[in-house]
Amino acid sequence: MDGNILLVEDDPSIREVTAIGLRNAGFDVTTASDGQEGLDRFRAAPFDLLLLDVMLPRMDGLELCRAVRRTSTVPILMLTARGDTIDVVVGLEAGADDYVKKPFEVPELVARVRAALRRANREAAEDGRLRLGELTIDTAGRTVEREGRDIALTRTEFDLLVELARRPGQVMTQDVLLDRVWGYDYMGDSRLVDVAMQRLRAKIERDPSSPELVLTVRGAGYKSAR
Amino acid sequence: MRGVRARLTATLVALVALTALVLGVGSYVFVDASLHDRFRDDAAAQARFDLEVLIPGSGLPERPSRADLEAAGLIAAFARQPQSDTIVDVGDGDPAVAAFLGLFSSRLRDLVQGGGLAYEWTSIAGRPRLVVGGRLPPDGPDFYFVHDASAIEQALVTLRVALLVGGIVLALLALLAARWVARGVLAPVDAAARAAERIERGDLGARVPVASRDEFGDWAERFNRMADTLQDTISRLEASQAQNRRFVSDVSHELRTPLTALVAEASILREHLGALPPDARRTGELLVGDVARLRTLVDELMELSRFDAAAERVLLEPVDLGSLVQRIAATRAAGTPVTVPDVQLVVRTEPRRLERIVANLLDNAREHAPAAQAEVRVRARDGWAYVEVLDRGPGVPAERLDRIFERFYKVDPSRTGGSSGLGLAIAAEHAAVLGGDLRAFNRSQGGLRIALRIPVTEPLPRGDGGANPAHDSGAPTPTTQESPS
Repeated sequence: MDGNILLVEDDPSIREVTAIGLRNAGFDVTTASDGQEGLDRFRAAPFDLLLLDVMLPRMDGLELCRAVRRTSTVPILMLTARGDTIDVVVGLEAGADDYVKKPFEVPELVARVRAALRRANREAAEDGRLRLGELTIDTAGRTVEREGRDIALTRTEFDLLVELARRPGQVMTQDVLLDRVWGYDYMGDSRLVDVAMQRLRAKIERDPSSPELVLTVRGAGYKSAR
Repeated sequence: MRGVRARLTATLVALVALTALVLGVGSYVFVDASLHDRFRDDAAAQARFDLEVLIPGSGLPERPSRADLEAAGLIAAFARQPQSDTIVDVGDGDPAVAAFLGLFSSRLRDLVQGGGLAYEWTSIAGRPRLVVGGRLPPDGPDFYFVHDASAIEQALVTLRVALLVGGIVLALLALLAARWVARGVLAPVDAAARAAERIERGDLGARVPVASRDEFGDWAERFNRMADTLQDTISRLEASQAQNRRFVSDVSHELRTPLTALVAEASILREHLGALPPDARRTGELLVGDVARLRTLVDELMELSRFDAAAERVLLEPVDLGSLVQRIAATRAAGTPVTVPDVQLVVRTEPRRLERIVANLLDNAREHAPAAQAEVRVRARDGWAYVEVLDRGPGVPAERLDRIFERFYKVDPSRTGGSSGLGLAIAAEHAAVLGGDLRAFNRSQGGLRIALRIPVTEPLPRGDGGANPAHDSGAPTPTTQESPS
């Protein structure tokens, strides 16, 4: 399951060693050293996945991410210097699917890239309609609507919603959701799930402060309404 | 402060009251005496006139009878004299006259019968009277002139009331004046107290107004000079501390980029160590290990510099402390015995920080007593929850117990363990953020006990399973940030 990866990173050493690691793992890697160059390369050729540093000259990674998202659903992983919740939130808001905290070990990065690619491929094969409360979810077209009106969700939010809607009333822990939605068992950072859930609720719930579609089970995780 | 004001006020009021009392009593006694003297002198003069001029001039016979007196017109003349009744003892034993005479003291009657002019203050029919008596020479009859002295008493009553009211008004005025004076005198002290309080609260710019050119003014100037120096020193210290912290933060950030490259490079090198020639392989192994160490150090420096920037956000949630600590111990140091209280102990805290603290304490215990197993205890006392990690290491000399939470502090500098020397400092910072602290004690049976103390503010929940032990099998508790219960 090899793929075409665009790596945008300004530090030459990090860029080169990351490219080496990804190529060793069997990926084709194109590199860019600033945001503008990254955008140019993205527009010039198709890619299966984007790996973006947050701090970039000329156009920062978040801006680049937003620019890409306007035209594409390609999986995007952010390389962030800090793992603060605020960075996770900002990254997800910009449309990223996941983040990798610096410093990272190459095998870890490769695992995250593979997981993201697997998801992207899996989604293409799915087909069907789900209902959750007043929401109608089209898993093939990747759209969600309430009373005929589309609700715009990011890839991650959509996947999270589908995962919960498929198993109405079943409690899912943060770890299970991490595994199923993000595609790996990532020890310890359940904040990723909580932050994404908060954003999902803000979009699908009538009153996000007293959710009716996706409920919190204290001490356990989340479940969708039956 | 308040004491001085009260004493000052009381003293001033007491002085005024005492003065008013002395003046009032003095003037009352004087007026009382002079009114009575004057009244008596007037009455005596009247009596003398009657006895020496009026009666002898009326042509009475020797030893006159009552009828003679009437005939001479004397009774009528006496009746015309104001405010007096006249009783005449002609010696005929008239019972009505005898009854009147009984009202006078025998001493007065003796003096009168002896031929002198005498007076007596007495009270007849409930009214104050002055009785002046005299004998018509050579041997009678005796005349007693009875004057009504009510007017004097009324004047004195009025005077007493006036003095009393005046005294009260004076005392009240004195009280007000004293408070005003006290406030004025103590105003600089109040101002200084307020300034000192503001400085205590951290407003180093607070100063005492220099309102006068007296001792207080001098003192205020000196106080202000002291505050200036203090502010100057503290701001210089703060600036240099901020500079230090910025430096640490900058260094950590600058190290971050090459470190990221190093970590990625080492992770690739590690995969290919087997392909290296043997002498290069060992070097490669060391390199991989040292990169990991450097990574830990930089991570911890970054963590500390975030504390220094006071950029910590705390997400408190109710946590079953016993089961959380059991879980942490199981993942971080499997097999460590954990003692938890029988009753569920729920605290509002941040599990991530708590995990960091306990993990660092366990690491510390492992480092100083690698051979012996550490032990963890969770308990509650006096509104605090305690998590204690006990080891069987060499302990720490008593005088250095407090210092082990300092950054890079090593009890034995010759030891070069794997740790950065920042673990306990980080744990202490996290403990402070959670509203608690860390303290170290030497155990009597050898080894070190480090106690984390955090406040218990959460009443024990029952019912819907806020922190149900059945759920502590590994699922993280959702953070309060986005989890309505």
